[in-house]
Amino acid sequence: MSIVAKRCGVKFTPPSIIIIYENKTSGKMRKRVIPVRNFSQYSDCSRAAERLKHHVRHSVYLECVSLAQLERLHLLLRDHLQGASLEESLAAHRHQEEEEDLNKLSDEELSRRKAQMDDLFQRNRRRRGDPDFVYDLEVEFGEGSVKETCSWDEEQSDQEF
Amino acid sequence: MDAGGNSDLDLDKYDSDEQVKIICLGDSAVGKSKLMERFLMDGYRPQQLSTYALTLYKYTTTINGQTILVDFWDTAGQERFRSMHPSYYHKSHACVMVFDVQRKITYKNLTVWYKELREYRPEIPCLVVANKIDADMKVTQKSFNFAKKQGLPFYFVSAADGTNVVKVFKDAIQMALSYKRNSSDFMDEVMRELENFDLENKEESSDKEETQEEKPSSA
Repeated sequence: MSIVAKRCGVKFTPPSIIIIYENKTSGKMRKRVIPVRNFSQYSDCSRAAERLKHHVRHSVYLECVSLAQLERLHLLLRDHLQGASLEESLAAHRHQEEEEDLNKLSDEELSRRKAQMDDLFQRNRRRRGDPDFVYDLEVEFGEGSVKETCSWDEEQSDQEF
Repeated sequence: MDAGGNSDLDLDKYDSDEQVKIICLGDSAVGKSKLMERFLMDGYRPQQLSTYALTLYKYTTTINGQTILVDFWDTAGQERFRSMHPSYYHKSHACVMVFDVQRKITYKNLTVWYKELREYRPEIPCLVVANKIDADMKVTQKSFNFAKKQGLPFYFVSAADGTNVVKVFKDAIQMALSYKRNSSDFMDEVMRELENFDLENKEESSDKEETQEEKPSSA
């Protein structure tokens, strides 16, 4: 049976990972709910994700889901158990990603992270031949309007010169 | 093929009027190469010069009836050490500095890149590029003070959907040409003298014959 995960998400009660996948043989889309057992607000999400990724029954459904993505889903579940709202959880993760310094990763880790970024890139990509493709696409971004200063500039920077 | 590689990295060619060198700077994974590929589309054939840790993209355009040959220099992983070899900067005419709007560290590190750039090229035009706006369009309602403070042109772009990519590189080419016409290239003369000095030293200490004929230097 050839399975390709298409979308994934979480269910909070009971804590579960949801996979929407395509069965390549039958061509049908199906949903798989994978309970996350022995998981609490104190669990190590990275280790839990790794356990699930290599689980004897579930690994076949998670082949196309990266470990990093599984870890993020576990983080959402753990945050929920800790009482955070979904919005708070997503905002916190976004902040964490903002601080990520890829220059410090190994070659392998950097390649993996770039592959993750490529997912969004390919989804948003416009290629020659697409109906709405414009080679020299120019967009003005409110040059005249008063803009809010980016919060990244508000703090003191040691590197200012 | 080595000879071809060498001639492509012959920095003297950048002295001619119709040849410009434009360098890209920025942290890993901000999208520098994706931007180049979007600008060049299918016509490009990058040269991967691993010995020098750089990727060379060639582009030809016509401006005011004159054919202009553009070499875009892109890093090939060297940026992870947040420092480039001096030859990367040498005789460059413009710089495109890129950060990722989703990762604050890449914006903060612009000051590191800018400082190094100005050590080697105090005067060349530098364009600041905020990439990946397709991931978060709200950033286009923000202002980023680094470019403003340094008086550098600033662009919101997306390598994915193509927003403003061509504009950045066309502007960079125009600014590079303008710089060539107006600069005294004093630093280039100093570098040339230093290169000749190094070469003379090497000749004295080496038994090998010099492969390339040395250009006579003016006193």
